[in-house]
This record gives sequence, structure tokens and C-alpha cells, in this order.
Amino acid sequence: MMGEALLEINNLESFYGPIMAIRGVSLKVDKGQIVAVLGANGAGKSTLLKTISGIMDPEKGEVLFDGQPIQGHEPHKIVEQGIVHVPEGREVFPLLTVDENLSLGAYTRGDRAEIERDREMVFDYFPILAERRGQEAGTLSGGQQQMLAIGRGLMLRPKIMLLDEPSLGLSPLLVQEIFAILRRLNSEEHVTMMLVEQNARIALELADIGYVMEIGRIVMDGSADRLMESEDIKSFYLGHQEEGQRGEKRWKRKKTWR
Amino acid sequence: MNMQTSVTGTPSQIEINGVSFNADPGQRPILVDGCDTIPKLFETRCKTLGVRTAHREKDMGIWKSYSWSDYWDHAKWIGLGLLSLGLKRGEVISILSEDRREWLYTDMGVQGAGGIASGVYTTDSAAQLAYLVNDSDSRFLFVENDEQLDKYLEIADQVPGLAKVIIYERDGLHDLEHDACLFLDELYDLGRAYEAQHPGSFEAEIAKSRPEDTALLIYTSGTTGMPKGAMLGHENVLASMESGARALEVSREDEQLCFLPLCHILERNVSVYFPLGAASTVNFAESPETVFDNMQEVSPATFFAVPRVWEKIYSRVLVLAQEATPLGRWAFHQAIKAGAARADYVMTGREAPSGVSARYAFWDFAVLRNLRRMLGMDKMRRGGTGAAPISPELLKWYWSIGVPLIEGYGMTENAGISTINTLEKNSPGTVGRPVPGVQLRISEEGEIQTLGLNNFQGYWRNNEKTAETFTADGWLRTGDVGRVDENGDLTITGRIKDIIITAGGKNITPAEIESRLKFSHYIADAVIIGDRRKYLTCLIMIDQENVEKFAQDRKIPFSDFASLCAAPEVVEQIRQEVEAVNKDFARVEQIKDFRLINVLLTAEDDELTATMKLKRSFVEKKHKALIEEMY
Repeated sequence: MMGEALLEINNLESFYGPIMAIRGVSLKVDKGQIVAVLGANGAGKSTLLKTISGIMDPEKGEVLFDGQPIQGHEPHKIVEQGIVHVPEGREVFPLLTVDENLSLGAYTRGDRAEIERDREMVFDYFPILAERRGQEAGTLSGGQQQMLAIGRGLMLRPKIMLLDEPSLGLSPLLVQEIFAILRRLNSEEHVTMMLVEQNARIALELADIGYVMEIGRIVMDGSADRLMESEDIKSFYLGHQEEGQRGEKRWKRKKTWR
Repeated sequence: MNMQTSVTGTPSQIEINGVSFNADPGQRPILVDGCDTIPKLFETRCKTLGVRTAHREKDMGIWKSYSWSDYWDHAKWIGLGLLSLGLKRGEVISILSEDRREWLYTDMGVQGAGGIASGVYTTDSAAQLAYLVNDSDSRFLFVENDEQLDKYLEIADQVPGLAKVIIYERDGLHDLEHDACLFLDELYDLGRAYEAQHPGSFEAEIAKSRPEDTALLIYTSGTTGMPKGAMLGHENVLASMESGARALEVSREDEQLCFLPLCHILERNVSVYFPLGAASTVNFAESPETVFDNMQEVSPATFFAVPRVWEKIYSRVLVLAQEATPLGRWAFHQAIKAGAARADYVMTGREAPSGVSARYAFWDFAVLRNLRRMLGMDKMRRGGTGAAPISPELLKWYWSIGVPLIEGYGMTENAGISTINTLEKNSPGTVGRPVPGVQLRISEEGEIQTLGLNNFQGYWRNNEKTAETFTADGWLRTGDVGRVDENGDLTITGRIKDIIITAGGKNITPAEIESRLKFSHYIADAVIIGDRRKYLTCLIMIDQENVEKFAQDRKIPFSDFASLCAAPEVVEQIRQEVEAVNKDFARVEQIKDFRLINVLLTAEDDELTATMKLKRSFVEKKHKALIEEMY
């Protein structure tokens, strides 16, 4: 992991009111990498992304982007630097058309011709969006909305995309499809990505590096391959069931994170 | 000794907190309220206390009370149920469960029926369970739930001596069909049926108990070799109660919290036998993770814990204080200062000057009172610590916040208690004086030896080890090295077996150095290496919480535990801690190099005892590579 760090987070702490949602997290995303952050509900994954993109201010710690501190900056300033946050639950503008949604994604840019080229690129990756370009986004299916949210993010020509649970609420087939496109975007367009996921299997298949978060802390990190082999990851995130003495087993082994 | 014997042969009695004891401790027959065995006392207590609350346990988030009558009925049904299944007097049963009232019901039921109860740690593996069941010749095994049952099922064909397995909880086991297994309620039914056929049989069995019968078997964790079962007789436990009543008195109104493993003599004494003597109420913590919350809810009057627990509470308070407002932090600091000034006097039993007392009274009212309430220590008359060394600074901190904390010393082989400090006469840094009824001496080699009716009967089916444990004149060889100062207070310096002889031929007691290291907030435990080596080195297990906080406060990036241990600033901090300790030791006793154990160990790991102490032999074996790096 000695690449050039695009995003570096050091000792971050964030609060939701009185509750410390992130209790000292350090991690790093190299240029061109895909980093997955795994964790159950309430582990602090979304808070982490929100703190990076400026929606929340950290209590302590720093976020370095290209070596420059950006923690606590206004969200629009952070977007201008090329950090795009694709929020959980898609959050497209439901009453605007697909085209208008995409245009809004490029609102910081003035280069019309380039914008149009990027729009074509988005349609290239997501042909279904081209078919529905005039349709109101609210009438799209969940998978299409997710594609639109990613496409809207791409319109900014991001240096890094922060993806919050892109698989949420989608059918397994759609998840496969969207993650295949994410992989292509990474290899063809060199988009650096940081995604948080509960679907550990699909996330680790995509990612180079993984971090596991539990109640606001990182408990394990390593290459995606190594994490896939971990007994804890297998039984807590990949749903492997160890053979019990009886046919069934209600209790889980204790986590050790090694 | 001027033992006054009455005509009937009963030693003269005195009353302590409403309970009658021998006026002269350490004399046979030992009597507690006129009873000479645990089951007889149990019967007396249950029949006189009746509907009074004996236990409280949380059920679906609500504390529920269980009376002494409940205690009696369930214990009786277990005892008679086992009799109907063929339990014979003197046979062993094993209990594999977390703390809960059924654990105590089983202990009393088994003892009442003339059996011997042996506890198994829930963190033990299936293989360890097989060893313990076979070594103790257990006829019956009680398991808590499906998780523990699976351990038995894994080794079912390796434990031929086991007649039946009784399961406390039905959850998740509705489909279970196994000839050897039955559920606790089924055992209760067997007990009820047996009683209907043989009325009064439990009382009759209890009447057969004699002080010299073995009451319980406690397996010692054994830092070397396989665990050995220490046999404690009724008299041993009553002796411990007799001493405890004088040195660790508990009154009938006291609330207590049970949370350390009942397999351990410490928790067994303070949560089963001492409350039985005192007729106090025991509350069961829901789980090891919720102890601090349960503590707040219960607010116990007395609380005995291992140093690690006291350290954790301290760390929690420090973290909270740092997150307070600047004014709050300032007030906290002032309050601790005022408390510390007073502690200098009161913790050694002296009266504080009026100025110091007045300042404390103010800060107690403003800050400390609330702090104690938040910790669930507002009613705490006495805190106790034992089973491992505790740092004198930590003791003083508790006295500073108004919690009197005293240190004692005991081991399984002397029924858990041999020396103790008392609130009236406390010498911090020592483990106090021998309790009433116990004599203590230091042998020529410096070994601590004790004599008293609390000394155990020997190791189960292991005469060789038993012989090694007693001197020719019948004193117990504790295996600990120590010294007694001019006030009669004992200081422990280490274990005889752990003495390291360096390549240069110098004898070193590692525990002395190790405990000093452990007093650092960043070091959870340490093992000194150096036997037949040129110099001493050390493997260190860091305190995760405190080191994480250290790293966080100093903006030292880390992700998982291994990366925390690898952070240069963390290593440097530990180096400073080691160097500070080195200053107090002679050159040959100084640590030349150290390594941090970079995996987060759990109680399931071989390297740790159930009370989270490092086991020297396993650590040396498992981390050989780290050790060799240093030589």
C-alpha cells in the first residue's frame, strides 16, 4: 500500500449530537484504487463519508485531499475539488428529467462541449439512461435511479467518488450489473473510488483494499483478498455458516479480527 | 489458645452483623450460625429467610427478585433430580455456564445431595471441557445454552463417564433429540417426583454432610501444565467465611453484584458463600459487557474485583472527564486534588486535618458525589481488589474520589483468603495482614506459607502434587515469594517457579518487574523473558483502550490493532514506560529490549487466563519468533 495517497484520513472523530459516531478512524485511498469500507448498521460508515464530503464537520482529526487539509470545509468547496458523494438511497431529483439531473451534476463546470461529451460517456456506460433521458427521474426504477446517481456524479469528472451503499435495495442481478460498470469506470476512466457497503462479498470482489468498521472504529484492514480469507469476515459478513454439532447453529463465534 | 468450650462441645460464640461465629477464629468445629457444613447453613438460611430476596436477575431488561425459598426449592429439585438419576455422595458434577442464579441453585443442590460441584469457564474449548470432565470423573454436566452444549456434543464420545447433560436454556434447542441430554425444567420435575415419593429426603441428605467432606472442586488455571482440581471441604469454606466475616464484613442489607466467573474462588466466595453467611442479596450482571451499567443500577455496598476491572473504570472516568467542558474539567481536576489530599490521611486510617476535610467536603458535594453516583459507587462502603497486583496510584485515586478500596491476597488452595487490608488498618502497596484464623510465615527460600483450617484438602486424584504443595509440618506452600514488614504487612514479590536465572547466574523474580510495568496505563500485561539468556527482554500486551486514546490524542494514525502496535510513537511511549521501570532496578534486572504482542488476545486464547492474565509458558511458546528477534 505504498501508492500515492489521494485521500488520507487521520484520527477522525465525528459526533451525531452527543453520540460519537466515529471514534478515531485513519485510512488512506491511493490514486486509482478502489477502497471498500465494510461494517454493519451503525458502524459509522455513512458518517465517515459525510465527514469527508463536508456535510458533517469532524470534532477532531484531519482529512487530506491531495495532501491538503479539507476537513470542515463547505460541501460545495469540496465538490469543486473533485470529490463526489453519491449518497445512500440514490437521492436523485425526482421531478427533474434524467437529462436535467445529469446537467445539475455538472453545475460547477462551464465547458459546454466537454459536458456534452461526458453526458455521452454516461449514456455509454448506462444505455438505459439514454433511453429514458426525457423521463422524470422519480419514475425510474431503483436500479435506474442508482445508475443516474452515479452518472450524475460522473458528470463532475470526479477525482474520487464516495459511494454510499450502491447495492442497497437492488436485486442481485442489478447489483452485479452496477458493480461491473463501477469496475469499468475504474479501469477505463481511472476513477478512484471509496465505497461503503454492507454487502461485503460484492464490495470485496470489486475493491483492492478493505477496511472493516465496528462502532466507529476500524477493527481490521488489508487487501481485499486477505479480508476474504479471514474467518471473521467469512462468518460475520459473508454469511458462511460453520458446521455446527447439530444441524443448526444460533450462536456465532467470537470476533477476533485477525 | 484459650478456647472456651461449653458442656455440649460447642465453642463459645460471638455475633457479627447478626450472625453467630466462633469467638475464637481458627478452631474446630467451625460454626456459622451453629452449622458446620455449607448445606446445613443453606437450609437454615432458606427456612428462616423465606420470602426475603436472595437474588436478583435481569429478565428482558427488568430486574426480578428471587427469594430464599426459590433458592431452596430449585436447589432441592436439582439435588433430588440428580439423586433420582443415580448421583452418589462424593461424585462430581461440572457446571459450564455464565453467572446466573441457576449456577448457584446447582451448586447448592449438588452439595445438598452430597455431590461436589466443579465450575468450567465458558471460554474453555471443547477439548478443555473433555479434559476437565474426565479428570474430575464428572457424572453430570450442566451447560448453559446451545453454544455451550455444542462443546459437549463435539466431545460426547470422549467422555464415557458422563451419565447426563442438563441444559439451562431451551432457546434454539426445540428440535434437540439426544439420549444423554435433558433440560433443567425436566430435572426439576424429576426432583419434584422424587420428593413426592421420598418426602424429607433432601433434608436427610443435608444432615449427612460432614465438615471434612469435599464441597467443591476448583480447577486452578495452571500457568504450567494441565489444570489441577483443588478440593475444598465444607470446613475450608466455613473457615473462609469465618475470616471473611471479620475482615470483609457484609451485612444483611447489603446489595452485591456478581459478575466475575463463579468457577473462580474469589467470585464464589463473595457471591455465593459470604452472602450465604451474611444473608445479603446478590444481583447478577447480565453479561460481562454490561457490568458497568448493571453496577449503576445495583449500586452495590461492597464490590470485589480484579485490578483490570478497577483500571477499566478509572480509564472510563478519565475519558469522560476529558470530553467535559473546560469548566467541568477544571472542577474535576480540583475535586481529585482535594480528594487526593484527604486520601493521604484517610487511606492509612488517619484523620484528615479540618482544612483538608472541609475542602474535600466541598468538592465531594460539587463533583465527587455525582461521579460516584454515575459509577454506581454511591453506596459503596468498601471496594476490594485481589488476584493480581494493583498499582498504589490507582488505589489512591479511588480513595480520592471517596471509594475506599483495599487489597487482599488469597488463592484457591487456601479457600481464597489469607491476608487482607481493612478499612481501619490499611497499608497501601501491601496485601495486608493474615486474616483471623490464619497464620503466615516466610520460608528460608522466601516462600509465603500459610496455616489455617482454610487450607485445602489436596488435588483431586493427584497425591503427588498434593504432597508437593504442603510442607512436612503441614503448612501450605503458596508458591509465592514475599516479605513481611515490621507492621506485619505482607508484600508479594513473585512466583517461585517463575524465578529466572540469567546466563550470568543471577536470580530474578520477574513478577516484581512485571507488576511495575503493569502499573502503566498503557500496559495491560507483560512477560519477562531471560531464563538462561544473556539479558532480560519483555513481551508486552498493551491496554487497547488507553493506547488507542493515546494515539488519538496525539494524532497518530492507526487502523486495526496491529497497526496501533506498529505505530512508532506508540512503541516509543512504551519504551519510555519500560525505561522508567528500569530505573528502579539493578542493571542485571533491567529490560534490554521488548516487543508488543500485536494480536488482540481474548479469553479463548491459550495465552490468557480467564481473568485475562498472560500465561508465561504459552506466551513463550506462541511468540517464540518475537522473542528470538531480541536475542
